[in-house]
Amino acid sequence: MFTLIGRRLVQLVPTLFLVSVLIFSLQHLLPGDPALVMAGEEATPEVVEQIRKRYNLDKPLPVQYVHWIGGVLQGDLGESMRLRLPVGQLILQKLPVTLQLAFMAMAIALLIGIPAGVISAVKRGTATDHAVNVFALAGISTPNFWLGIMLILLFAVKLGWLPASGYVSPFVDVQRSLATTILPAIVLGTAIAGVIMRHMRSAMLQALDSDYVRTARAKGLHERTVVWKHAVRNAITPVITLGALEFGTLLSGAVLTEQIFSIPGFGKLIVDAVFNRDYAVVQGVVLITAATYILMNLLADLGYILANPRLRT
Amino acid sequence: MAEDGALLEITDLQVAFHGPDGRTTHAVDGVDLSVTPGRTLGIVGESGSGKSVTSLAVMGLLPKGTEITGRIGFEGRDLLKESARRLRDLRGDRMAMIFQEPMTSLNPAYTIGDQISEAILRHRSVGRREARARAIEMLRKVRIPEPEARFQEYPHQLSGGMRQRAMIAMALACDPQLLIADEPTTALDVTIQAQILELMRRLREETRAAIILITHDLGVVAEVCDEVAVMYAGQIVERAAVQDLFAFPQHPYTVGLLGALPRFDAEQGELAVISGSVPDMSRRPTGCRFRSRCPFRIERCEEMPPLIPVENGRLTRCWRAPLQRLVA
Repeated sequence: MFTLIGRRLVQLVPTLFLVSVLIFSLQHLLPGDPALVMAGEEATPEVVEQIRKRYNLDKPLPVQYVHWIGGVLQGDLGESMRLRLPVGQLILQKLPVTLQLAFMAMAIALLIGIPAGVISAVKRGTATDHAVNVFALAGISTPNFWLGIMLILLFAVKLGWLPASGYVSPFVDVQRSLATTILPAIVLGTAIAGVIMRHMRSAMLQALDSDYVRTARAKGLHERTVVWKHAVRNAITPVITLGALEFGTLLSGAVLTEQIFSIPGFGKLIVDAVFNRDYAVVQGVVLITAATYILMNLLADLGYILANPRLRT
Repeated sequence: MAEDGALLEITDLQVAFHGPDGRTTHAVDGVDLSVTPGRTLGIVGESGSGKSVTSLAVMGLLPKGTEITGRIGFEGRDLLKESARRLRDLRGDRMAMIFQEPMTSLNPAYTIGDQISEAILRHRSVGRREARARAIEMLRKVRIPEPEARFQEYPHQLSGGMRQRAMIAMALACDPQLLIADEPTTALDVTIQAQILELMRRLREETRAAIILITHDLGVVAEVCDEVAVMYAGQIVERAAVQDLFAFPQHPYTVGLLGALPRFDAEQGELAVISGSVPDMSRRPTGCRFRSRCPFRIERCEEMPPLIPVENGRLTRCWRAPLQRLVA
């Protein structure tokens, strides 16, 4: 088991290297000159040239890359040209927001998705099963931005129960923090709940049809023990992997949802950075996101091992 | 052959599955069986003959929506009239079942010990500690070495033979009166098979339980059974004491089966086969179901033969019984 973790950690290095090269080169394919954006329309060529020099934009691309990656290796992700702040600091500011949103969305997704999947598998072919499937399909196919706007209209505009936008840190005021994040968390969570439900359902159908479930019934166990202890335990493994991957996606920032609810998370940071050609920020955020995603994969594998004793020895 | 003191007495059991395409398959069609404590009844037949379905009907493990009629008398009650709740109380306690494939029949996510203790905790009012002690005792009883260590192991850590022993330990944990073993040795190596059969024989002596052994292997029947019921296309075609059956089979299908049994004392040559195949049960054929494959068929076979008594209380579903003069 430990060799497996070690091997995965080693694999992380070349993957991240490739990712860094990709981010760096793709981003420079974007039209637009960051120095011009920064200097503003009225700037003289001298000023623009000065900015170029300061951010090494006058050097050839490979040199720029080496320069950047050298900093990254020492923990320096560079400086935002627009905000004049270190990228690391910006990320640390936004990360807790995105983390909070991701955890809440994931909790909603699991709390809805897993029981719904189990129930629809147990009641396969019945009206309950069909109803759950319709809801799951609706959850998957409803665009996030639309659901977000509808929720704002209902809960903020019409009922006035929740704020329409903005963000309060839970360290400042837990209640208000929940109030500002619950709607975006629902938007993100319900979409994932649908996916999780579908996977849980098919894994459960397989488990319920298995020999060990028949054995459990032959022992005279109650149906709920058969379902929740014997079948769910085996059916949940593929869902663990899926959940971890979805969580990784959430961490990379829900661009649209954060925009709609004006949540100052990763998504908003990266959108602003792309529009302003703020290279260092885009590179930093994407790199961190990629690393998180790979780490989530590793965690998924660990969860898989924990749930499946066959992999433990 | 319904004896007094039968533990299980099945009368005119009919099982029909309604397929999603609207077709109905009559998997079991009028089966009568009985077993007495301390005896082993073998049910023999090829796949699709209805032998597993019969046993699952007894256990109440057939899927919902299956049409079951007749009577399954067990300890004086008709199991077909009992509530699901009452059947659950009986399962694993008064009657237990072991299955063909011990690897897939054990839950890979739980230890052997947990899966055995679970049955004990379900049916006996004991604590975890006592259940554990009982489970370890059962593992010892089925001759699993180092039972304390095995208790904590997962199914994948055991060999096939050990897994089947663990399954048997689980089934017998609450001292059931009836044990149904569905092809318990089919998935095992020949040497392991012999050990498991020996174990079952010994446990029957100790527990006085009635055993129903379902198999397609006549060699296994000869080893452990007292009586045999041969099934073909959802019906019993012959019932006899085991020695009688092997000495003088009274149904052409049994004759065919015995002919298909490889023997060391027989001449070298091709394995005998029964030509043709089992009729399509969704169409419920009329007349004797074996007649299309039967070398002895006569005109009367267009009419379904009943189970006809022949010598020694044996029964055979054949118009031409007794068969001795035809076979010899």
